[in-house]
Amino acid sequence: MTASTLSGRDAYRHELAHLAAEDPALLCLEADLGGKGHPFQAAHPERFFNLGIAEGAMVDMATGLASAGYKPFVSTFAPFAALRAAESLKLTLGYLNAGVTVVAPYAGVSGAWFGTTHHCLEDLAVLRSIPGVTIAAPYGEAETRAVVRAAAASGRPHYIRTGRNAVYDSLPFDGELPGPVTWDHRGEPGATVLVSVGEEGTRLALEARERRPELGHAHLVYLDHAHLSLAAEELATTTGRLVVVEEHRAEGGAAEALALLLPGREVVGVNAGHAWPTQGGDHHEVMAQLGLDLPAVLAATL
Amino acid sequence: MTVAVDTPVDLAARAAEARRLVVDMAASPRGCHLGGSLSVLDVLIAALHRASLGDGTEVVLSKGHAAAGLYAALHVSGILPENPAPLYGQLGHPYTGHPGPKVPGVRFPTGSLGHGVPYAAGWAMARRLGGLPGLGIAVAGDGELQEGLVWETCQVAAAQRLGNFVLVVDRNGGQNDGMVADISPLPDLAARFAAFGFDTVEVDGHDLARLGEVFGADRTGAERPLAVIADTVKGKGVPAVEGKAGSHYVTIDAARAAKWKRLIR
Repeated sequence: MTASTLSGRDAYRHELAHLAAEDPALLCLEADLGGKGHPFQAAHPERFFNLGIAEGAMVDMATGLASAGYKPFVSTFAPFAALRAAESLKLTLGYLNAGVTVVAPYAGVSGAWFGTTHHCLEDLAVLRSIPGVTIAAPYGEAETRAVVRAAAASGRPHYIRTGRNAVYDSLPFDGELPGPVTWDHRGEPGATVLVSVGEEGTRLALEARERRPELGHAHLVYLDHAHLSLAAEELATTTGRLVVVEEHRAEGGAAEALALLLPGREVVGVNAGHAWPTQGGDHHEVMAQLGLDLPAVLAATL
Repeated sequence: MTVAVDTPVDLAARAAEARRLVVDMAASPRGCHLGGSLSVLDVLIAALHRASLGDGTEVVLSKGHAAAGLYAALHVSGILPENPAPLYGQLGHPYTGHPGPKVPGVRFPTGSLGHGVPYAAGWAMARRLGGLPGLGIAVAGDGELQEGLVWETCQVAAAQRLGNFVLVVDRNGGQNDGMVADISPLPDLAARFAAFGFDTVEVDGHDLARLGEVFGADRTGAERPLAVIADTVKGKGVPAVEGKAGSHYVTIDAARAAKWKRLIR
């Protein structure tokens, strides 16, 4: 595993541009937030479309394009994709099962000082309630590239959630694509198992393990019901409590889902709770305002 | 250049037959959106006939609450083999109050207003990307124009120079709770579309010959999308309800349906 140099959202852009060289059906649609120097635009300008600040129209037009045989990838910030265009996602990704992939950076509070309008702590709840959507929250460049490749090859609806500019090294995984659970460390028998979700949940879990090496650590990349059901089967083979760390509200997140899938097991969530961050600060400072930091994770493992 | 179309007489006969089917659906246990189904029928008959030429033209009924009109138009156009009227709204059959892709001839789910417009624009974009002929035709209601998604798509379609995208407005003047003019008026509608960068045309939405000319026009090489403002009558063809806002959703008994059907010409 080579060291990462790209954030999740940049890894998406580069991987899709790479894949498009071999697959003429791949299209890249942006809603004015793709940034300058987009690698897909540079490599395939005839298949790159900045449709402007029109998220609903972008998702619905992607539906028309997919219906005609194309594989559109559409991207805008998570709050605008999952919330503003939620009805379009329901109809496109869910009801029509269209081969459209939505890539949503700025998930959680990675928008930090940009304020609450640019935060998204509700996207997993929205997308998880739409049947048939594959939901991924990759950690690091390699995992993000793998998830994008899988989405492009599948022709099925995907929602891929990333942060902003943070760069992390993915955990090693076997094969071309991470399975339902990537075990970083299985932990001592009976020890608490950290279950990490997404970029920041995984960062915190790794930091917690540095403090307490006896803990187990299971990383999840796919968060839809089908994948979480498989993950739950694997997690059920452990015996300790499960502490799920995720940059999302408790409602509709992975912890809530796992608690339902694992009745009788103690599942504790470390998440963003119910507050609305109203101050500035960097990403980690805003997370701390929500009680989502290393002390909170360590406290939950005791 | 125009593409060949049937004579208006042929299409008029189809439209009359479809109107009788819509009345049958109003006489179903569910009732139906009668007024808007009857107002949009001629537009649908003409647009579906244009699509039947086989060049890849797709017709999307964006005002999906007029599903009864769409099912009837699909049936009389030979696209939907079975008669949907006895099955409308019934368990085990796909003829729901707003259409979905389980119905032959329907590609997209509509009825949550606004979405059919970008679906058709996306279809037009795909045809253009592939260097293929064919139009993406969205049929919207005038009340539907209150949805921001419509104008969002108009902005995008003009910017992308989708000359093969056609947005038809079934301007019947009514909406669920009353008249469009009373709830959220649309003054200078043609000028609005023109300002967005559309070609515009205003037509009698019940003149099948004129509609055939409009839909048959060759838009190869066109760079401006086309807005067709079709002036129609809510409840068209059934004198008892023509022009009445109360025709929006109607449930009638079999005797009244039989009487109304005899009056349809």
